Amino acid sequence: MTRHAIFAGLIASVISVATTAPAGDAPKEISLGTLYASSGRFASISMPVHYGLKLWIDQKNAEGGVFVKAFNKKIPLKLVAYDDQSNTATAATLYNQLITQDKVDILIADSGSVLTSVAVPIARDHKMLLINQTGTGATFFTPDNPYIVLMADPVSSVWPKPLADFITHDGPHLGIKRVAILYATNDFTGTQANAVRKFIKESNSDVDIVFDQGIPTETSSYTVLLNNIKASNPDAVIHLGYASNDIAFLRNVQDSGIKFNFVFCIYPGLETELLEKNVGSKGLNYVFTYVPSSQIAYQSQFGMSLNEYEAAWQQKYGNTNVEFGFNSVAGYTTGLVLEKALAAATSLDQLELRKAIFSLSGNLKTLDGTFALDEAGAQIGEITPLGQLIAEGDHVKFVTVWPHDVSTGKPIYPRP
Amino acid sequence: MLVYSLLAGLLFGLYFSLIGLGLNLVFGVMRIVNLAHGDFLMLGAFLAFWLFTLISLNPIPAIFIVFVVFAIVGLPLYYLLVPRLLRAKDPEMLSFILFFGLSQVIEALATIAFGTSERSIPGGELGRAIVAVASLLTGHHVENGPVDIFGQTFPAAWVASGIASGIAVLLVYVYLYRTRLGYLTRAVMVHREEAIATGINVHRVSAIAFGIGLGLASVAGVFAPFMLGSITPAMGVEVTVTSFTVIVIGSLGKPLGTLLGGIIYGVSYMFMQSYYSSWANLLPYVLLVAILLVRPSGLLGRQVRRA
Amino acid sequence: MPKMLHHVTLILLPVVAAFAILPTVYSNHLLLFNFMIFIMLAQGVNVIYGFTGYLPFGYVGFFGAGAYGFSLMVIHLQASPLVALAAGAAAAVVLGLTLTPLFRLSGAYFSIANLAAALAVFQVVSNPNLESLTKGPYGISLSGVFDPTFAYGATLAILGATLGLVIYLRNSRFGMALQAIREDSISAGMAGINVVRERIIAWLLSALIAGLAGSVFAWYVSVFYPETVFSGEFTIFAIVFALFGGNGTVIGPILGVVILYGIYNAVGISTPQYFQLIYGALIMLLVLFLPNGLVSLLRQWGINVP
Repeated sequence: MTRHAIFAGLIASVISVATTAPAGDAPKEISLGTLYASSGRFASISMPVHYGLKLWIDQKNAEGGVFVKAFNKKIPLKLVAYDDQSNTATAATLYNQLITQDKVDILIADSGSVLTSVAVPIARDHKMLLINQTGTGATFFTPDNPYIVLMADPVSSVWPKPLADFITHDGPHLGIKRVAILYATNDFTGTQANAVRKFIKESNSDVDIVFDQGIPTETSSYTVLLNNIKASNPDAVIHLGYASNDIAFLRNVQDSGIKFNFVFCIYPGLETELLEKNVGSKGLNYVFTYVPSSQIAYQSQFGMSLNEYEAAWQQKYGNTNVEFGFNSVAGYTTGLVLEKALAAATSLDQLELRKAIFSLSGNLKTLDGTFALDEAGAQIGEITPLGQLIAEGDHVKFVTVWPHDVSTGKPIYPRP
Repeated sequence: MLVYSLLAGLLFGLYFSLIGLGLNLVFGVMRIVNLAHGDFLMLGAFLAFWLFTLISLNPIPAIFIVFVVFAIVGLPLYYLLVPRLLRAKDPEMLSFILFFGLSQVIEALATIAFGTSERSIPGGELGRAIVAVASLLTGHHVENGPVDIFGQTFPAAWVASGIASGIAVLLVYVYLYRTRLGYLTRAVMVHREEAIATGINVHRVSAIAFGIGLGLASVAGVFAPFMLGSITPAMGVEVTVTSFTVIVIGSLGKPLGTLLGGIIYGVSYMFMQSYYSSWANLLPYVLLVAILLVRPSGLLGRQVRRA
Repeated sequence: MPKMLHHVTLILLPVVAAFAILPTVYSNHLLLFNFMIFIMLAQGVNVIYGFTGYLPFGYVGFFGAGAYGFSLMVIHLQASPLVALAAGAAAAVVLGLTLTPLFRLSGAYFSIANLAAALAVFQVVSNPNLESLTKGPYGISLSGVFDPTFAYGATLAILGATLGLVIYLRNSRFGMALQAIREDSISAGMAGINVVRERIIAWLLSALIAGLAGSVFAWYVSVFYPETVFSGEFTIFAIVFALFGGNGTVIGPILGVVILYGIYNAVGISTPQYFQLIYGALIMLLVLFLPNGLVSLLRQWGINVP
């Protein structure tokens, strides 16, 4: 009797231990591997993203770590980060290093399509999920590659929809019938140009594209181009380029005295401070642009709100020369998504993490807007509305004009 | 559209003549390939930017300060680098690499000091200088804004830099052909060994030419925020390659050649932008290779060492 | 002949063997791959600069031509990797042939023209009007041939062939003829050397090496933008490595790559901000104080360098 009892008791205790023990031993820390560019042409978009991610990590570690459902406890985070200096070959070697030598648990890409692009095949080859922060290149997301998800920016083929919708819906009422498109020929802006063209053509509006030219990304002299655009007599001019293109474009518009009724540029929205310094508030007055999440206080149901985050940023990074803006929100958003995913995933297996991240699609509302993915992992949420800039002294303020449900004012057209 | 491209090309081309002028001098005198030329232009631009930002100095007077500063910098730099270089077996080739190294060092220091973001000077500043001069000349107040030429409107900055380039070319011409120092410089340009043999202090002449060359590059830099949009520490490299095109088209050692080269480049570039905009950046390279193959001594012709 | 065999066993075999064995103990294969690419490129520069005295400042043009030759074969003709490799190499050689008129120029003019030619090829390839052919500025993404192991093996073979070629040049009459041309082309011509022909052969060989390197690079990484494979950095690194080690020798470029590229990766990973500064200063000091490379130091101490 006692022997049976002891035996039964042993079996029972073994079973209970086996079922309550975690799947393997919990690791001491979760390692996050990432790259950043401290110099070179992508430094200005990379450093804010990196700092935003770091802010989230430091915050979580101050709380004892992030809750990992797979082990049912809080585990601290370790960041393994290398500098790729905006060099794609260096980045490739370093991504490889993170995976094969440092053996990180989670792989996070550097900022922007170019530095993300090299990671796509590497991650896929090693079967690691690539946490893509701001690489919006549409070609990254193919149905046959599950190892990529876009965190914080809408994919380039979807991003300009608010702009196109405004022009085709509200435009005709305001008198916009002729549109000129000038774009820099690279993955980011070229894809957006294709998207704008497609949305305008597919809409059943009277809007016509009267000028459509691609220019090299290194272009810095727009005087002749502006003259040619003027000759085509457009009602609206859309310029899609990087920050330095926008700066040169807007300055040339100002200096040549040409008045366009409607001008759209990307970077007055994404890097407002930089454009204010180089173009001046007068040159930005009445310019249309994207309204980034750093300007709209979205209802965030998870993580800090915009005001709280900005305050935390200024406290931590206010004395550095890395500017607060759209990209700094992106890095923090990445952290928030990872936090939610780790709290839902049943293991640290890469495809399991992917499942967990996908489960958040449509349900996660952060300071960056609503997180939504399509089947290939591209971000179709976190849309940036269309807004107009109004000069106030040395700075500009945003007036959101489309979509109507988030608009804060009426657009001023034509430009006075 | 055609007329506009032509006039714009002229003005834009004049600016590139200014950029090429300094490089022309340096290469002509020393046979040194200054791959750091664009970086000195960048430094000149930043100096003008800081002078404007810190003490609100208008770029026009800043030109003189910038020129003097970099001309003075050029002298010790020459003595530091060139004599050693010339002792090696293949100085022309090694100069390529040496000055490339210098260009990287300058770019790195500038990035560490200034950061990578773009900087600019408001376009109106150059306009103010033109307004001041025009008001003086015409006797009544002139509006600060775009300038009308033959019915086409251009930014005031373009006109200002065009005028400045013209003046610079003239000054270099006067220096080379009307001063004694210039006379000696031309002697060194033609045949270095013979110049040494006739007792000319070749190093001194070269050092001064080097300083002037750097000074000219930095003066071109002052206009860069207006002609090239915005300035960053990394802008030097592209400018260097384009300036090579300009001086090669125009033939080495002749300031008027650089003027011609710049104008040809400017006009062709503007035409490309109007009609074949996405191919515009191909132009300088094709021009360069074509000229070197068809007429290597440049359009104004001057003997060039053949292999 | 025996000397060549001597060099082959002392240099070629150990180097190739090292790169064949290292992946088993060091898992960042991409880094090892990059080392091999740079050794090849440095040797390519060595062939044309060390042996004939012309500095190919647009050397990356051949590299990019090889990469795009490979990619276009795969994308448009679904060629197998080895066939595409041959196509990439051919593309580079054809480009080299097209540029032979540049030899009429001397010294700096040649280098500038070569640079301009490479930049021109880049502009053409990356032009959006040619998007249907070369994918323009939007970059290449090769699917279906992604096979890092096979590519690595092919790279080993190409590395061996390259080193073999340089050893041959170092020990043969052809190589000596080239060096004679470098020292004094007029006297060489008078001594009966067909200057133009030998020079062109060396040039095409150099282009071939870079073309193969570019092709296998495209194969290995399979995703790249035009700027990646036409980056001036490849030219600069190759020239500096070759220069540092010492031109006109077999082990000079190898030494240069191992030491300098090794430093680049070590420093790059730990103190990146000052990286460009250190590298630039290093280049300057190199040219001023050691223009003939490390091997000149070894020669000074009486060691005969292969």
